[in-house]
Amino acid sequence: MGQRPSRVKITKNDRAILQLKRSKDEIHKFAKRTDNLIASERVRLKTMIQEDPKHYKENPKIRFLLKRIHYQNHLLEQAGDQLINLENLVSTLEFKLVELQFVKGLEHGNEILSKLNKEFKGADQLMDNVQSQTSYQNEINDVLARSVVGVDDFEEELDKELDQLEEQFILKKEPQKEPEIQMPSTEGLPDLKSEEQDSAEHASEEIIGERALA
Amino acid sequence: MPMPLPPIYSFPPLYTRQPNSIIRRQQISSWMDLILQYAKSHNAWCMSAEGSIVTEGSESVQESIFVNNEIERSVPQVFINEIWSTMCQEGKAIGTDKGKKESPTYYILWRTVDSWASLILQWFESAGKLQQVVTIYELSQGDESIGWEFHGMPEPLTADCLKPLCHRHRATIVNDEYGKPVAVKVV
Repeated sequence: MGQRPSRVKITKNDRAILQLKRSKDEIHKFAKRTDNLIASERVRLKTMIQEDPKHYKENPKIRFLLKRIHYQNHLLEQAGDQLINLENLVSTLEFKLVELQFVKGLEHGNEILSKLNKEFKGADQLMDNVQSQTSYQNEINDVLARSVVGVDDFEEELDKELDQLEEQFILKKEPQKEPEIQMPSTEGLPDLKSEEQDSAEHASEEIIGERALA
Repeated sequence: MPMPLPPIYSFPPLYTRQPNSIIRRQQISSWMDLILQYAKSHNAWCMSAEGSIVTEGSESVQESIFVNNEIERSVPQVFINEIWSTMCQEGKAIGTDKGKKESPTYYILWRTVDSWASLILQWFESAGKLQQVVTIYELSQGDESIGWEFHGMPEPLTADCLKPLCHRHRATIVNDEYGKPVAVKVV
């Protein structure tokens, strides 16, 4: 009853890749086995050489064993190459699957885009219609504006009256204007004649200041 | 490196089946701990019913965990079977012969199946193997899982550990033409 995710599906592609991977595993197993075999044979070779340190080069058994090891090594190398090939193939396949998804996505996108474009087919007509509607709207606005023109005289009268009122108001207000502050200025005063006179004046000013303090 | 077993391993009464059921339960649980620890430190997935480690491919002649030469004690086979059956009941071991009560070898689960399942799921997520078919061999023996605790796990056991993921609808096991599980796809 709950939210059960659907079963994981195994597709045909999965099965194909599985076949490939199984052969890869087989090669991997073979490589491991051969590796072990080589290691054990090398150990055997060593012991045989130790047992017969003088004539081991002539010993056919040892020669045979060494040959075998070399052959196994050769096989191991081949197996490694094949393993790499298979691995590459698997990754190529996986990438192709992703590419397939990509192409499918493009297809879908294209479909949707064309569908949406179809919706836009009436756009020209729609725009024309909108334009005519707006021009009609403008006409209506003009008409409405003109109908107000009849009252325009009245507006002018109002303006005139307001102007008159304003004049009156300003006239009334003018006397109440604050008098301009008369700042002391040197204008009209005679030029200073000499510094002595200046200092004398200064002294007298000081005396006045002292008196004021006292 | 294999860890040394705890001192209880050298405790002689551990090797005799205790008549008192409460003490016996305690004794069996000690044995279970010993086996799990032994298996984990030796990285042994499979043990014979006699208590020696079984490795794939090679015939092992290792000494049994149930035989302690140091104190010259060994567990009688009847009691060993009792230990195995308790371990199977508690999900700490799985008989390799399915359906039979006593099998010649047992898989040792030092993690529970669910815990293995989540560890495997972690590998799938971190190795970027989601949405891909991965063979069980690749998962348990392949080069890509080296360094993970489940590397080297026997394939049938791996298949068992994947079952919880199938129940959670995270995975599907693909069987080969003989009905043997060979691959898994995780999403």
